[in-house]
Amino acid sequence: MRHVLLAFLFLLSLVLPGTLFHFWSWSGIKPDLVMLLVIYTAMHNRPLNAVLYGALAGLVEDFFLGRYLGMYALTLTAVALLGGWLAARWYRENFFLTMLVVFSVTAVGQLLVGFLGIAAGLPWLPSDVWRLVGGIALYNALLVPLTYPWIHHSFLHGWLRYRPKYER
Amino acid sequence: MGKRVNATGIAVLVFFLVLGVLVSMRLTGLGSHWPNPVGSALQRILSPVENALLYVGHGIRDNTRALWSFHALEAENKSLKEQADRLAEDNLRLKNQVLAGMRFEALDQGEFRSPTLDKFAKVGATIINRNPTAWYQTLTLNRGSKDGVAVDDPVVAHLGLVGKVVAVSPTTSEVLMILDSEGQVSALVRGSTGEGTFGIVQGTYKRGSRLTAEGNLQMLFKREDTVNVGDLVLTSGLGGVYPKDIPIGKIRDIRLDPTGLLKTAYIEPLVNFDSLEEVYIVKTVGGK
Repeated sequence: MRHVLLAFLFLLSLVLPGTLFHFWSWSGIKPDLVMLLVIYTAMHNRPLNAVLYGALAGLVEDFFLGRYLGMYALTLTAVALLGGWLAARWYRENFFLTMLVVFSVTAVGQLLVGFLGIAAGLPWLPSDVWRLVGGIALYNALLVPLTYPWIHHSFLHGWLRYRPKYER
Repeated sequence: MGKRVNATGIAVLVFFLVLGVLVSMRLTGLGSHWPNPVGSALQRILSPVENALLYVGHGIRDNTRALWSFHALEAENKSLKEQADRLAEDNLRLKNQVLAGMRFEALDQGEFRSPTLDKFAKVGATIINRNPTAWYQTLTLNRGSKDGVAVDDPVVAHLGLVGKVVAVSPTTSEVLMILDSEGQVSALVRGSTGEGTFGIVQGTYKRGSRLTAEGNLQMLFKREDTVNVGDLVLTSGLGGVYPKDIPIGKIRDIRLDPTGLLKTAYIEPLVNFDSLEEVYIVKTVGGK
């Protein structure tokens, strides 16, 4: 059930930015919900699981986008690693710190996307990359107060909670 | 020592990972047409959801537009208000022109005054009869040559033009209504911009076409003439029978002629000819 719900959330995160958030974009900047969910998952799971979720989510996103295969797989893997690493050191029930984690990790993730894109020969202007990195990171951070409470609660007490084998 | 080996291993792993991803990106970039069955399946599965979400998004955007684009809407609102003020001013000017034709005030002894018709004497009259046949659109009034009524005197009601006197007896007069096909009126259409377009208003009731809706008037225009539905039709003052600016009706419908060169405007009269009981004869001829 937990995995099904996570898969559903990932797919929803894949679809929402192009649909609903298209109407709430600022100068073309929309949140990266998949990245946000990977960060949340990484904050509530062991590093190996987080990396697996990140890689899988990234691969699915690459297939969904249909081009530049591996860009998001690598990026979200790195994001999961970094998110988990930071969350282990910062108190994760503090919303401000969580926002800071989300902002920083999203910024790094988007920078990585920008770096990979430019390295692969995409004609992206560095100024645009900076604008997008800052914008998406800020948007994701602003979504934390709206999304984190219920997803944190679900990871701790609800359907997303990890249940050991003996409990199952 | 072990730690250093691990770090090197990780660095090598990351290097090859990044390299592999870059190569993969190059191979799967735009225009590469690589087979992507997973992506196709995802698109197929998610497209109904996307459509539904987009529909919801449109709905939310349309219903909450005032919240998200407050400043833009405020500017738009300001601009529209200015435009509305300008239009109201134009409208007022137009109304003044209309009212000039419609401002008939009852005076003593059944005479009426209006700015346009001021220079003419008017006499009130009661309709005592209507044409008994269905072929003509005429009325019989209780005023005649004794009251100074003469042939070609215009007849108006409180809202607009009725017709003209075509026959006079000492005590009665016969009025040919503008609904009759023979009751042609030189007219002017005033559009929303205030510009006038001249034409001839003609009754649509004609011999041999009795099934045509009674009470309609029509006016022919060139195709390029700018007349619109809702425009007001007034007398033009040309032709020597009807004074200027007496309201006739409003354009209800405009249809292009089969030849494509002309268009016909169908006019709804301001006067309800069926319930008409009292009219005023303007003594443009008889008063001289």
